[in-house]
Amino acid sequence: MFQVIGGRSVQVTRLLAPRRAVLVEAVRGRKSRTDPVAKSKEGRIKVPPPVDPREMVVLKERFAEYQLITRALRLEFKEEVLRKKYEEETGSLAEERARQEAEEHCALMAFNNQENLRMLEVRTLRVQKEKEEAERKQVEASVQREQQQQEFIKEKEKDILKLQEDAKNFITLENLDRRIEDALDNPKNYNFAIDKEGRVVKQTMLQ
Amino acid sequence: MVHLSSLLLKNYHGGYVVIRLALAGHKQANRPFYRIVAAYNKRARDGKYLEQLGSYDPLPNIYNEKLVSFNFDRIKYWIGCGAHPTKPVAKLLGLAGFFPLHPMTITEAERRRAQTELIATEDVLQEGQKEAEV
Repeated sequence: MFQVIGGRSVQVTRLLAPRRAVLVEAVRGRKSRTDPVAKSKEGRIKVPPPVDPREMVVLKERFAEYQLITRALRLEFKEEVLRKKYEEETGSLAEERARQEAEEHCALMAFNNQENLRMLEVRTLRVQKEKEEAERKQVEASVQREQQQQEFIKEKEKDILKLQEDAKNFITLENLDRRIEDALDNPKNYNFAIDKEGRVVKQTMLQ
Repeated sequence: MVHLSSLLLKNYHGGYVVIRLALAGHKQANRPFYRIVAAYNKRARDGKYLEQLGSYDPLPNIYNEKLVSFNFDRIKYWIGCGAHPTKPVAKLLGLAGFFPLHPMTITEAERRRAQTELIATEDVLQEGQKEAEV
């Protein structure tokens, strides 16, 4: 629960310091910094485990050897990783791959260009056809319009002629007197009788 | 969105990669199982790791063996990239033969042997005393 704050100076002062001076640091556990030390642990001085000097010498030798070997292994692996990366980027396989990719790219570009040319031809033909169609339609439309105009003019002429014809029978200031006299002289009878069978009888009672 | 966690870990104390044991399957009590994992140093023990490099089952099976697995190829890659294995992982690798044997394995074995010899000699002495008494 408690971790000793290390250091040689700290060890010396620990012997001289009073018992309850906190030179230990709470790492984990359920007590907070303000809780007092437990009654059973009041006089406790933590002592590290005893060290056998002969064993320590042997251990130091073994550790030196171990670290040497592990460091060498680490360098070896680093070199291997770098070599793999180098080969990946600039090896023979990589060159072949790059070459193949370039070839594919060329082929695809050529194919694309050919397709573009073909489509261009098709497109020009289509556009030409469409233009011709449009021209023809325009010509037809103009012809139609001309025809319509002509017919219109004819109609109007007919109307004019009819009107001219009718104008002869109009009543003007000169004809007024004569027409009145004529009308009074010739009374017209519009009455008639009709049968269910469609027989028309115009002879009626004159007033 | 920028992946903030990796930036933080790289700029935080210059975080480094470790190869360590992470507890897996903690939903079951009293049945530990460890994954050998390459992770950033400051990550939680069971938190997000970079890659799993093996497993370790601390409880012996029916044939009294503890099973360990390693992905040596990827371990080589990570150590080449500058990962540090922890003490238990180093011990396991030493026993596997990938690394040299860890010194503490040897010293622990020696200590245990010394203890057993001590107990054996004590037993012999005790038996000798009993025979003498009789």
